Amino acid sequence: MSALKVMVCDDSMFVRKKMKDAVAAAGVTEIIEAADGQQAIDKYKAEKPDLVFMDIIMPVKSGVEALTEIKSFDSSAKIVMASSVGTQENLKEAILAGAYDFLQKPIANDDVAKIISKASK
Amino acid sequence: MFTQFFGNYLLHQQLVSPEHLSEVLQSMKSTRLKLGVLAINAGLMTAAQVEKAHDEQQRVDKRIGDVMVDMGFLTKDQVENLLRTQPAGHLLLGQALVDNGYMTTTQFEQALNSYKQENSLSDADSANVSDDTARKLVTHFYNFSAGSNTSYMTGYVSLLFKNLIRFIGDDFTPMDARAVSGTLSDCIAQRIEGGLSAITIIDADASTMIEFASRFAKEQLTDADEYTQACVSEFINLHNGLFAVNVSNDTGVELKLEPQCYYDNLDISELSNACVIPVCFSFGTVNFIISM
Repeated sequence: MSALKVMVCDDSMFVRKKMKDAVAAAGVTEIIEAADGQQAIDKYKAEKPDLVFMDIIMPVKSGVEALTEIKSFDSSAKIVMASSVGTQENLKEAILAGAYDFLQKPIANDDVAKIISKASK
Repeated sequence: MFTQFFGNYLLHQQLVSPEHLSEVLQSMKSTRLKLGVLAINAGLMTAAQVEKAHDEQQRVDKRIGDVMVDMGFLTKDQVENLLRTQPAGHLLLGQALVDNGYMTTTQFEQALNSYKQENSLSDADSANVSDDTARKLVTHFYNFSAGSNTSYMTGYVSLLFKNLIRFIGDDFTPMDARAVSGTLSDCIAQRIEGGLSAITIIDADASTMIEFASRFAKEQLTDADEYTQACVSEFINLHNGLFAVNVSNDTGVELKLEPQCYYDNLDISELSNACVIPVCFSFGTVNFIISM
């Protein structure tokens, strides 16, 4: 069982479900959802999650825009970027914007569990 | 992938009916042993390792055997030996057609030899389709030379068929491409921007869309609702993501994917350099409309 509060942010209902299942399988019980970058910012401010899994390609506000904004008011935020486009360019952009880690889609439960374990330490 | 294009050839030659081909392709699903099962059976890999390799293969555009070698689970020789114990897909297709009385052995042999000759394919090409062979099959089957992005289009469509096999299933037959026209209803699209401007649209009737989504999500869905749309959207997103990675690795050109959209009505008559690629699965036909 993990005491972390985790937020999953993806515009796809299907990916949010898969991600929530993976996070719950890693022992997390407190899971928040957001469906776009703006919702992620608003919910982050309200809920202060310990760890965020954030999709990059989203409507309204992209994942990288949301990451940059959240880091501007909470530099210690742990935000893992997720994308189907695992190019060096995307990885570099996410790291430069302050991402905690990078996950390539489709998400593997093992990778989610490893990140949760790392963030718990 | 050879099996699917060869299936189309048999249809074109009127050697088999669409109904018989679909029936046989579906029945093959249960008879064909996957490389992972063969490796477990030979005591070379554990089930957990096979699962890990399958997870990894969904994120890289590589054959499962190559992924298993990269991950250190098997050597190249072991992969080759295992594949040798497994009859190639098109041979199983032939066996099933002959067993069901839909073709004679002689008809099958003649058709196979003609198809290989027309496509300049060797026995090795048909047994284990490499990237080059996949591109050769697609180039020969579709005429993309009219557009300016022929090379991108060939790579994109080759990858599409590999991803359909990877994420949905191998019981399909690619059909001839046709020109775009008219308006689509209830379809899903994703745009690619950056070094290439493209759009891909997935169109199918409601029951086909539900089955396609069910296979992708690995859960049985029953309604053509938002969740079904999200599953189909994620397939297109993963496919486009892998394409963007290939293009970035091969040419250094960076592509940007836009969020996927659902349209209840979409006029496609104005799309440039576009075509419809129908893919006939045992559960229905899925149309891929590609403009690039």
